[in-house]
Amino acid sequence: MKHGLAESIRDKCAIVGIGTTDFSSRSGRSVLTLATQACLAAIADAELDPEQVDGIVRCDIDQVLHNDLAASLGLTDLRFWSTVGTGGGAPCGMVAQAVAAIQSGQANTVIVFRSLNGRSGVRFGQPMSDSDRVGGRGSYDEFFIPYGVQVPGHMFSMMARRHMADFGTTEEQLGHIALTCRRRANANPAAQMSLRTMTMDDYMGSRPISRPLRLFDYCLETDGACAVIVTSAERARDLPKPPALIRAVAQGTVADEQPGYFLSSLLRESLTTWPSDPVAKTLYARAGCGPGDIDVAQIYDCFTITALIQLEDYGFCAKGEGGPFAASGALDMSGSLPINTSGGHLSEGYIHGLTHIVEGVRQIRGTSTSQVRDAATCLVTSGVPNASSAMILRTDS
Amino acid sequence: MTQRQVRRLPVTDDVDTSGFWEASAQGVLRIRRCVKCSAFVHLPRNHCPKCHSPDTVWHDVPGRGTLVSFCIAEQQIDPAFPTPYTAVLVDVDDAPGVRLVGHMSGRVELTLGMKMIATFEKIDDDVTMPQWRPAPAD
Repeated sequence: MKHGLAESIRDKCAIVGIGTTDFSSRSGRSVLTLATQACLAAIADAELDPEQVDGIVRCDIDQVLHNDLAASLGLTDLRFWSTVGTGGGAPCGMVAQAVAAIQSGQANTVIVFRSLNGRSGVRFGQPMSDSDRVGGRGSYDEFFIPYGVQVPGHMFSMMARRHMADFGTTEEQLGHIALTCRRRANANPAAQMSLRTMTMDDYMGSRPISRPLRLFDYCLETDGACAVIVTSAERARDLPKPPALIRAVAQGTVADEQPGYFLSSLLRESLTTWPSDPVAKTLYARAGCGPGDIDVAQIYDCFTITALIQLEDYGFCAKGEGGPFAASGALDMSGSLPINTSGGHLSEGYIHGLTHIVEGVRQIRGTSTSQVRDAATCLVTSGVPNASSAMILRTDS
Repeated sequence: MTQRQVRRLPVTDDVDTSGFWEASAQGVLRIRRCVKCSAFVHLPRNHCPKCHSPDTVWHDVPGRGTLVSFCIAEQQIDPAFPTPYTAVLVDVDDAPGVRLVGHMSGRVELTLGMKMIATFEKIDDDVTMPQWRPAPAD
């Protein structure tokens, strides 16, 4: 009965409010202002008052602290807070923290948020250390940064090359993921790339950044914030909007997890099977369903290869078949698994995993700008190759 | 963030990792290894993750390996590393589970699975960095 306890929380909590700021390259606002704006929008969407929020879950690499947000929102009864990492791997695990708090009686109404000036402030694709010496104190950066292996793109391009060598994956197949996300963004007025179309020639012609990856394999850099509100399913049914039930949520990592921030993922035996593989197994067991039961998915896509490998790890195709699967049309609106229906990190905006949760709720409510007809289940995944997390949302039937 | 021209170097005095850099300064590849079960422990740390023994020591390994993957950086983000450059991942021979990173200038034609040999790049009196090059044909 490894999953017995988890089964007992199936559908017991729900997301009842979603909120975002605008997504831009220069917000002109502090991350606290952005967070406050997104949280107030989520509270209003749930038709609650800020006074009713008693829990906050934040992400470890964000700058806004729980007390910053509580003070800004004027919360009067904060009694649960938590910080979940690492970075983009956290968001579904952040929701798991909210569920745990609610199910254990520590809180009733929990805000999960992320807020980043990801373009005008701290840019994730730039060298992160400004000191003369790097590493030590358990960071293990000394084994990577002095070699010029510094940012996510360097890591993902080495993983992509290995996938290409092992399985014959092509650049054009990666391009299909970029094009799919762009088409969904073109239907979403709030997406940063809403007005910019992309052809395969555009993709193939985009400049190389870290070969074999090129500009359009990379996600956007975004200023903005997102928030969702989690409460019990029982309470959710008393609120005006249809709840997005949290069918299951899971965190996980691989057996040869490495110490350090994220570059150390390059030292694992496999560069092409990630924590998304064990997360998927736990998630489906907890949910009592499998990949064939998923109607639509929001797959974390900081890079095209990130999404491609997860399509395999979450069981939508066999290991190594992610390229042909992506090129088959399966990911489009008429396909078997529409993905990233608001445009994803590649084309909507990069709020490191939270945008995907917000869009998952829209699909369950039936309010997406690229709505999948009769969508009853939505898979949402968070970042890899860090220790990762994912969840399945479903309609209340 | 201010852009720096100076290449950022590894700390060489960390309690868990300094043995690696001390060995590099002597032109040797040295990896942490468990005395009890012989497992290699890289990234270096005190306890063996396989048998949980605290008894790990530094162990010399051959400067040979196999290319696992590489990337060619084209967009410069750090002035200390002019582009293009090639970063390599190498599995060290006779040291299961040990993978190291290397840096080569320019776009280098490489094939995954090819044999690589270690070289030692002396930066200054304190820092020598192990690097990797394709092994000459037999």
